[in-house]
This record gives sequence, structure tokens and C-alpha cells, in this order.
Amino acid sequence: MNNRRIFIIGSLLPALLLVLVFTYYPFFRGVVMAFQNVQIFDMRNIEFVGLQNFEKAFNDPKFMSALKNSALWVFFSLVCQFVIGLTLALLLRKPFRGRGVYQGFVFYSWALSGFLIGLIWKWMFNSQIGVINDLLLRIGLIEERIGFLSDPKWAMFSVIVANIWYGIAFFAIMLLAALQSVPADLYEAADIDGAGGVRKLLNVTLPYIMPTIIATTLLRAIWIFNDPTIIYGLTNGGPAGRTHILSSFMLDKLYTAAITAGRRLSASL
Amino acid sequence: MKREWLTKGKGLLVAASLLAGLLAGCGGNEGGTGGGSGDGSSSGGSGDEQIKLRVVESLTSPNRTALIQKMLDDFQAENPNIKVELISPPFDQADNKIRQMLSAKEDVDVLEVRDLTVAEFVNNGYIEPLDSFTSGWSEFDTLSNVSKSVGMIKDKLYFIPNGLYQRQLFYRKDWLDEKGLKVPTTYEELYEIGKQLTDPANNRFGFSFRGGPGSQGVTDAMVLAYNGDKVNLEDAQFLKDGSTIYSSPEAKQAMELYLKIYKETSPPDSINWGFQEQVQAFTSGVTAFLLQDPDVIQVLTEKMEEGTWATAPMPLGPSGKALIAAGGAGWGIAAHSEHKEAAWKLIEFLSSEPRNTQFSKDFGMVPIHSTAAEDEYFQSGPYKTLLEMTDKPDIFLNYKPPYQYPGTGQWSQVSMESQQAMLMNAKTIDEMLADWSAYWEEEKAKMNK
Amino acid sequence: MVFPLYWITITSLKPQKDIFTYPIRYWPERISFENYESIFRISKFHIYIGNSLMISIVASLIVIVIAVFSAYVMARYRFRGHGQIMLGFFATQMLPGFISLSSLYMMMSSMNLINNRFSLILMYTVIMIPFSTILLRGFFQRIPSSLEEAAMMDGCSRISALFRVIIPVMLPGIASTFIFAFVQNWNELFLAVMFIDDEPLKTLPVAMNSFVQKFDVDWGAMSAGTVLSVIPTVVLFAVAQRFIVEGLTQGAEKG
Repeated sequence: MNNRRIFIIGSLLPALLLVLVFTYYPFFRGVVMAFQNVQIFDMRNIEFVGLQNFEKAFNDPKFMSALKNSALWVFFSLVCQFVIGLTLALLLRKPFRGRGVYQGFVFYSWALSGFLIGLIWKWMFNSQIGVINDLLLRIGLIEERIGFLSDPKWAMFSVIVANIWYGIAFFAIMLLAALQSVPADLYEAADIDGAGGVRKLLNVTLPYIMPTIIATTLLRAIWIFNDPTIIYGLTNGGPAGRTHILSSFMLDKLYTAAITAGRRLSASL
Repeated sequence: MKREWLTKGKGLLVAASLLAGLLAGCGGNEGGTGGGSGDGSSSGGSGDEQIKLRVVESLTSPNRTALIQKMLDDFQAENPNIKVELISPPFDQADNKIRQMLSAKEDVDVLEVRDLTVAEFVNNGYIEPLDSFTSGWSEFDTLSNVSKSVGMIKDKLYFIPNGLYQRQLFYRKDWLDEKGLKVPTTYEELYEIGKQLTDPANNRFGFSFRGGPGSQGVTDAMVLAYNGDKVNLEDAQFLKDGSTIYSSPEAKQAMELYLKIYKETSPPDSINWGFQEQVQAFTSGVTAFLLQDPDVIQVLTEKMEEGTWATAPMPLGPSGKALIAAGGAGWGIAAHSEHKEAAWKLIEFLSSEPRNTQFSKDFGMVPIHSTAAEDEYFQSGPYKTLLEMTDKPDIFLNYKPPYQYPGTGQWSQVSMESQQAMLMNAKTIDEMLADWSAYWEEEKAKMNK
Repeated sequence: MVFPLYWITITSLKPQKDIFTYPIRYWPERISFENYESIFRISKFHIYIGNSLMISIVASLIVIVIAVFSAYVMARYRFRGHGQIMLGFFATQMLPGFISLSSLYMMMSSMNLINNRFSLILMYTVIMIPFSTILLRGFFQRIPSSLEEAAMMDGCSRISALFRVIIPVMLPGIASTFIFAFVQNWNELFLAVMFIDDEPLKTLPVAMNSFVQKFDVDWGAMSAGTVLSVIPTVVLFAVAQRFIVEGLTQGAEKG
């Protein structure tokens, strides 16, 4: 019994200690700042101001729009990432010549850092010198250039597109892995019952990989909801705060430039 | 804390740190004075006074870093007992990193302070006044007045600029020639001529607008120019009668034109553009007019054919005046530095007339010594217009930007947001100006408290 | 999907002056390797790639060692605080890292770890511990505990049973966890910008961030750097593909 205890404690200690000291401790220090009047201009007079920062944030008219945007952002990013990811996974399930290459192409977007994704898409979305407008004009799909990141009608749509693109790979990899674990005899049984392709998908494949679907979707939902990197990189919440999601908006309002400057990559550009 | 996890970490971490220690040693040229291995400045004091200075720059770009490194090498050759290390954080993270270094009192002796950051650093006690050093500096007399005022907070000098910025108009000479149009001298003409060049079907526009970060550069310039003589030049967010510059009828007139410039002569996308998109639109042949600092010259020369562009003075307001201010960044000394004498020696070296003039030429800035204006180089080409502006102080009124207000840092955000809302018709011009007036009245009230 | 990669690759092969020409060219007029040449010659990319490889690999290895133990215990034992610890690991996934940055800097500074690779290795390890524990725990749960019980009957201690019997079965899971950790560490920018001062210690993302300048993003260098930075992860993925696929399947279902 004593041995068991030592083993448990000994095994958990490094992980727990490191996470407590280097994740939770600095995080709580950061949380405290949300209740203070931190001003980079005057770091020597920091006082507690209670909920004042939160009040300001909630009373800001942009709060509601950020809330709405967050819902759109999470919902559409998640649904599209999932559907496209699943489609790709289904296409890549069976071995074929050059599958490895295709998998590489599916995978690479995940291997890019958030700041690069912001930069690359910002450049491609630019209405004057960006490549997306140019392509659409050449194909003849549009006649006038679209301000993807500047037109309030388009801006939220555009950041969601970039986010979808970024996250497809994660779903594709996870779902592909799950698909390959479906035992072949399940399909054989379905064949005997005379089930078609669609029915096999709905009755055999999806139920079998459901645990993976739930786990990956939940994890993704949290990440998407939380991570403002792409918003900061592409629009920084603009124009006029129209593309703020809850996380980018709250970080902006609760923290002054002292700490938020750090995550504002490309925002100063 | 260190001890805590070293003892409790059960060998695993000890192994990890040993491994890391081994690896840290394999990084190439970090021998000598002990680089990142930990004990920092405690080694000074005894022996033959080998001093290590750490310098951190803010406006990092590869070419510029190379130029600075070259000067530092020369300095070390002249001063064998001083070793200088240059830290070059990426531009868009640099000020934030410098702020962190200063607040944690990390080893740093000389740092690049910007007009935007100087008040903040002074207020937090991060940097040292230089007046006791400059009194013994032989070249201090030739330092131009503008250079001194940029680095000055409450009558004390905190940094010696490494060059000055001064906004001017860049225009597409070939386009104007082709259509037989003249170079705009007022904002009204900027609009009129820009409109004639605008042709959205061919992706051509008059003005390289910037509605995103930094938009206040243009809105404030226009409001100031329209207010003209009425502005209090020492406290330039306010008029001589004490009200804010945004409260006058002239301000409204300026912003009405601003809106027209956006709607009729600028790419619609530019409502969200920052510096980079604005400059890229000019260099890639989308826009005809650009208001920018001279350090953009380098980019223009690199990306555009010679003869396609030229420069002109800043546009004027209806009363024939424009207000101009020089900006700049330069070298200051960290308050916690242990080698202030050596640090000053380095700053003096970097700021000497020949070195600064050369640096300004290479990087596209106005040199800090008044004697350098006689240099051929600045009498011609894109710099000529800057000198022309300086030569007409009754037309181009020099004002001091409001860097001493704590709210300057937030101003760009506040200004940008209501300006974007106005451009999107979500706010009227009056509402926007009222926002801005209120902001500065509050700042003033805080200052006077 | 693939278009951004195509666009970046094409851009990286254009000579500097051609990158912003209008009309836009979808195939370079002249193919040039000057961007690649310059990022090695001027920007010393080989040093940064070396640093990034070293730091990412070392940190990911340490993560694996720590997380194997914590995940094993979390999978095999029930004890007081078990649920809270699991929740604690999960909750880290929801914490926005931005707000910790300045206090982390202060901590590193007081430990004299600024400008030292060890600070990055330490932090990259810490950041990946919760996710790796969650993932690996799923794998352990898949393996029947009868396996190590049999080994312990044969006289193995718990630890040697873990290493001799369980770990070999777990290799796919370990490989996929390693790759997840590696990719995260390979791309990390914020901490690297803050913690590292000296050129010879800088990592790849910091070097790429330096191509963003005041007026200009140096797209030639940036695109060449992007192409190069993707290669190691894609290669790693291709090599370990089979492992990951097996590994993730098991991990995700139980995770």
C-alpha cells in the first residue's frame, strides 16, 4: 500500500508541479490583473478596481456583437471543418497510389503557426493586391473587387473561412485514424444485408467512430472559442470592432496594452 | 522557486537540466564573457575592467541591424575593454519586449527609445536622463533643436535620436505626367486630382488611404492643417483658446473632405489597412498618393522603377498652413544599467556627426546634426522636399505631438475605431469629433489634476 | 485547401522585384532561388532551424517521459483527487496563454533563465504536459491491465512491467503524442520572442517574425521560410503516419 502511494505520487509529481508552477501560477497572476487598473504608462501605481473592467466590457455596445460573432465563429468553423475533414478522411481511407502525398497536402495547414496563417490570409484577402480577388475576377465570378476584410458584410465570413481552412487538417487526421480502425467484418455484415454506400456510412461507420467524433469536436470547440490568434492576425477585430469574437473582445477590454500587446502580433502593422 | 523543483523533481528534471546545460553550450560563438549562462553582471569589478554592454534595438529590420552591428564593431575596435552585444527583437514585438526587459531589470544598458515610448519609460522610471552626460559632449551644440525636443520630457533629455522622421507626400510622377496633372499642394487638390486618377475598373486609385492602425496620422494631420494658426503649437491637441482641435468648425470641414477622399479616391478595402498595405498599394501601382515618413524611401527604391515616383511637401489646409512634427527614435540608457559611463560613450560614438549622417543616408532619415543639412545628398532627391519644408517655418508650422499625455498610447485605438465607424456610416462626423474631443478633454483634466 | 501552399511556394521562387507585380502572375516569369539563398546567407536560417529542431525534440522527449508516468497513473489508479487532477489538466486547454506572458517573463528573469534555451525547453515541456497526459491516458486505458499483471506475476516490478511490456505496445500512441508536441513546439512564437535575446539562440518562428517590418512584409524571405518550416513536420508526419493513425484512433476514443 505504501509502495503504491509512493509510485502514484512519484509519477504524478513532475507533471503536477510543473503545471501548477508554470501554468496555473502565472495564469492567476494574469487573472488578477483583470481586476486592476494596469496602465503601461504608470506601472508603479497599480490598484484594485474590482469589477470595473468587466462592467466596462459588458456595457460596451460591441459586447453583444462579439457574442453573436462568437456563436457564428464557433458554429460555422466547427461544422465546416468537420464536414470537409470527414469527407477528406473518407476519400483518403482506402489506399491508392500517391495517397501519402495527398495526406501531406491535407496535413500541412496544421503545420503552420497561427501568426503565419494570419499574415498569409491577410495578404490573399487584400482586395487590391490580393490573389483571391484577382482569381475571382479572372474566372468571372465577380465583377467588382470585394473588400473581404474591410466590408462589414464580408469580414466575419472571411475570418471564418481562414479558420476553417486551418482546422480541417485536425479533423481529417483524427477522423482518418478513426476510420481505419473500423473492423472490416462490420462492412462485410452490412454487405450481406445488402446495404448501400450511404447506409453503410450512416449505420456502420459513423456509429463506430462516434466516440472519436465527440472527443475531437469538443476539444476543437474549446480551442476555436478560445483562440483569437486568427482574428488578431487578420482584422484585429476591425473594421470598427465588427469582427471581434468574445475572446478577442474580452482580452482587449480587460487588459490594457501592458499584456495584450504581447499577443497582438501583426496587430500593430 | 528554482530550488523547490530541483529537489522535488525526482532526478528527471535534474537530468533534463543537465541535458539542457550541455546543449546550451553548443551554440557557436557564445564563449568569452559567458553569454546566457546565467550569472550576468556580477563578474565586473575586479581585474582589468572588461565591461559588457547590452544594446537593444526597436525598429528592427535586417539591413538596419547590419548597419548598427557594423558601427558597434567599430566601437569595440576602438574600445577593446568594452564588449557590446546587440539584441534585435522582431519589429512588431520589440517595444513590448523592451518593456518587459526594463520592468524585470534584465541586463540591458543602451536601448532604442521611440517618441511613442519615451514618456511611458520616463514615467515608470525605466530610463536615465542624459543631461549630465551631454554637458561634456563636444558635438552637442550641432545637434538640431528638433532632435533635442523629440527626446525631451519635462525639460530633460532622455534619448539622442538616431535619425528623424518627417512625413511628406509621395506621388506617382509618371501617372501625373501622363495625364498632365499637377502635383497637389493642398488636401483639396489631393482630393480633386486623386479623383481624376481613380479608376476602380483598372484597380487604380488616388490615395493610399489607411483606415486601420495608425489612421490618426492622417486624420490628425488634416484637422491640424485646417485649424492652422489657431492651434496651440506647444500643446497641439488643443487650440489657443483651450478647446480641443476637434471642436472647431474647421475640424468638421477637414473630416468632411477626409470622408470624400476615402469614398471617392481610395480603395474601399483600405478602411482596414495599416502601414504595410498602404505602402504595398503604392509600390504595386494601385494608388497615386502616399503620405509617409522618409524611411519608406528605402522600400520604394527597392520595389519601384526609378522616375516613376517623386516627393512633395505635405498638403496644406485652406488657410495655406500645415502643421508638421518630427518623430524619431534613438539611444537612451536604462536606469538600472551598471555601466552608464560606458553606455554614454557608446551613444556618443553612435551619435557623432559623420556616423549619424551616414546612418541616416543608409536608412532614409533626416540626420540629427544641423551641420549635415549642408551635405549634397540631402539637397537632392526625395530629401529635398523635407528641407524645403524646414525652410518655410511660417507655412509649415512645427508642433510638439502630445506624447506627454498618458492617453497617447490608447489614442490610436480610440481614434481608429470611431473613424472606421464614421467611414462605415455607423457614426456621423459630428459624433466622431465629439468622441475625440471628449477623449482629449478627459486627458487634459487628468493631467491638470 | 492546397492553394495557399501553391501560392506561397510560387512566391518563394519569384525574384524580389516580381513578387508584387501587377497583373498578378500565377507562374513565375523567372524562377529564382535568391530568396532561399538569402535566408541562409543573410538570415542564418541553418542556425535557427538547428535551434528549433533541438529545442522542439528535447522538449517533446521530456514531455513524453513525464506524461507517460502521469498518464499511466491516471489510467490505472483511482485515488483521492483523481477527478480534480484530470479536470485540472483539461482546464489548461481553456486558459488563454496571452495573459500569463508577463508573469512568466518575471519568473524566468528571477530564475536567471532569460536568454537561455533551457527556459524554452522548460516551458514547451510544461505547455504540452496536460494535452499529452490526456492523450496517453486514453492509450493506456485501451491496453488491458491483465498484460502487466501477468508480467508482475512473473516477478517484474511495476516499473519494469511498464517499460518491458506496456511501453512497447504503446509505441504508436507515444509516436503520435510526440508529433503533436513537436509541431506545437516547432511553431511557438510568443515565448521564444520574449525569452531569447541572442541571435545564435533564436528559433525559426522568431526569425520568420523578423521578416515583418515597419512598412513591409518581406514576402520573398517569408514564403521561402514558410516552405522550409513546413518540411520537417510534413516529413515527420509522413514517416510516422502509420503510428499516428493507429495511435490517434485509440487515444481519441478513450480520451
